[in-house]
Amino acid sequence: MPDIPQTECREAIALRAAGKAFALDDGGSVVALDGIDISIREGEFVAILGPSGCGKSTVLRLVAGLETATSGTVHIEGRAPAELAAHHRLGVAFQDHALLPWLSVSDNVALPFRVARKPVARDTIARLIALVGLSGFENARPSQLSGGMRQRASIARALALDPDVLLLDEPFGALDAVTRRHMNIELQRIWSARTLTTVLVTHSVEEALFLADRIIVMTGRPGRVLRDVAVPFARPRTPEALRTAQFHAMVDDLTRALEPQG
Amino acid sequence: MAGLTSLPTRLRRLKRSCAQRAPALIGIGLFCLAWQLIGSYRLAGLTWPPLSVVIGYLVDPDHHRLLTRAASTTLRAVALGYLIGAGIGLFLALAVRLFRPARAGIDTFVALIHVTPAIALAPVFMILMHRDAIPVAICALAVTYLIYVAATSGLDGAKRHHIDLFAVMGARPWQRFWLLERPTALPAIASGLKLAIPVAFMGTIVGEWFGAARGLGLLMVSGMQNFQIPMLWAAVLLTTLTSLVLYALMGLVERAVERRFA
Amino acid sequence: MNRLVPFLSRYWAVLLLVVVWHAWVTLGDLNSIVLPAPLPVLADVVTHPALYLTNAAQTMATALAGVAIGVLLGAFVAILAWASRLLAGLLTPLGLIFSSVPIVALIPILARVLGYDISTVVAIVAVSAFFPTFVFTGAGLRDLPRATDDLFKVLGATPWGRLRHLVLPATVPNVMISLRLTVPEGVLAAILAEFLMGRSGLGFMFREAASRFAMERALGTSLVVTLAAVLFFTLAHRAERAVKARWS
Repeated sequence: MPDIPQTECREAIALRAAGKAFALDDGGSVVALDGIDISIREGEFVAILGPSGCGKSTVLRLVAGLETATSGTVHIEGRAPAELAAHHRLGVAFQDHALLPWLSVSDNVALPFRVARKPVARDTIARLIALVGLSGFENARPSQLSGGMRQRASIARALALDPDVLLLDEPFGALDAVTRRHMNIELQRIWSARTLTTVLVTHSVEEALFLADRIIVMTGRPGRVLRDVAVPFARPRTPEALRTAQFHAMVDDLTRALEPQG
Repeated sequence: MAGLTSLPTRLRRLKRSCAQRAPALIGIGLFCLAWQLIGSYRLAGLTWPPLSVVIGYLVDPDHHRLLTRAASTTLRAVALGYLIGAGIGLFLALAVRLFRPARAGIDTFVALIHVTPAIALAPVFMILMHRDAIPVAICALAVTYLIYVAATSGLDGAKRHHIDLFAVMGARPWQRFWLLERPTALPAIASGLKLAIPVAFMGTIVGEWFGAARGLGLLMVSGMQNFQIPMLWAAVLLTTLTSLVLYALMGLVERAVERRFA
Repeated sequence: MNRLVPFLSRYWAVLLLVVVWHAWVTLGDLNSIVLPAPLPVLADVVTHPALYLTNAAQTMATALAGVAIGVLLGAFVAILAWASRLLAGLLTPLGLIFSSVPIVALIPILARVLGYDISTVVAIVAVSAFFPTFVFTGAGLRDLPRATDDLFKVLGATPWGRLRHLVLPATVPNVMISLRLTVPEGVLAAILAEFLMGRSGLGFMFREAASRFAMERALGTSLVVTLAAVLFFTLAHRAERAVKARWS
């Protein structure tokens, strides 16, 4: 990796002038992302915040190697995302839990092991299931779980192979407000237990502020980075942090930033 | 989960399922009654026997040799054609899944076979094989179409987020096939196998009409031509009931697969 | 060239079949009673246009009439069953049963009961189309969003208004799908009925040609039957898409 600049803190994810255009059926194309520059340090938790349709999910899909940039570059640890995916170094959780309905919770969590053709580490799986608070539901099927429990299982699966990068695409977007807040507290606890580079895509200002070290605010059509905000709250964050005046001030500020201009 | 439901809920369910089934049983009862009355009062002429006469023909020991011989011939052809057709259909579906460029051509070919009335192929079979094999061949062909369509659409049925998940986990194509597409396809294949039951009987009967030496289809035709009215109706009733029973059994299999994999 | 590739990718398997057929006849040095080559079969069709056309026209007309009657009747009964819970309870199971039995087995019975007549062929085709349509359109009606039903009640729509603005839009697309689904079976039923009891039509041509081992004629009939069935199916498919574009 000779051409990677060594900064003082190691850079985990780098998008440089990354752009994405989608071809349309009529032969034209639509620019979803334009000139995205994002740098994420190792061990940093970054939230990408923006209104729906601003291309924030596309950023995550570029980092996950599910899409390739039509201009600029996307690198994880100096390598192409698809290369990391091929080495089973990425963990991902989607808004739709994407659990396989025919597998039990523990088999779902064990899936990354099978895909990586590694011996299934039963104790690791038991530990992860306990970490996300699903002990006792190892043999349950996804259809027998509540929405929040499915997301817990999906996060446990994302962590199964101890990935270099954790990608969360609106993981709690389909949950009700109460469950969502509870899951935020849980995720904060889980993440504190094993600090790893994390990208969270969300449209919830509170969620971003509560979980992230840094928030990247995006605007749409085409998707661009609007602001890059450091979150000042110390960890571990408690639900009480949500009630401070500073938290509310930042919520107001970011909410205004998300409102359509003009 | 049955153990978890309380007794009152189970009783309520039982009552509801009785209430749901009652009109069905009444409907079938009325149908049988109408059949009987039309036959008894000769409302549709001499060629419509009362249900009791048809059942009498079926249970009369004098006819058992004839009926069992015909039924066993037909059933053997149905079973053989069904298995061959299902095998070819699955094989073709897997082949075009593994070698996608072949897909469009096989789709057209199979659709053409489906649209072509089975009997149009009978002359070809007459040339290619012994006439006793024609029922099996037409049956197999009709089943092939259904299973091919069910299996290809089942294999295409993997959800977007599951495909994305496997991409991010770095799954190889065959892993995606085995761990995702194969289980996803099973309910559709089970549905196809259920729907193929009457189709298999249809193909076999048509094949028998084209010149088999024995079988239920032959009984129908000779009953029709020689005014053996009870025998004609008995052969049709026997065929229909056998097909229905097998259809219901495959329905149970379908439900089990559905519960396991969806 | 850039048209040829998509064409080949769609039709290679069909073309391959014809090539194998031709090669087999030529290389195997078979005589035409055993298996005629593709060209003589085509020649038989082309040199007897009147024979093939009149019979094809008859078969197609009976099949079309039967499918139309069966589909319309099926949709009508489905609407009745939707309007009345009692009818739905009585008819739906029978519909399910009849749509899952090999309906061609009823052809000999219908032929005997209704008589050896061309109207019997129409009736047989209609029966084969009726049950699947009844089940399919009925399922579509049951899927009617309850909210829209409530909306119409709130608006105080008359039964006729409900029928026009709620039931028909939910029925017509399903009727078109039923049409496409039942056309192949309808054509098959028509030909089988003609084969078993007819004195004209493509089905009868089959029986006649096969009984005297006139393989060119038999295979020529197969060819015409296939073309007619494909034509029918394509038309039904087009109609379905046009209606779908218009109604939803």
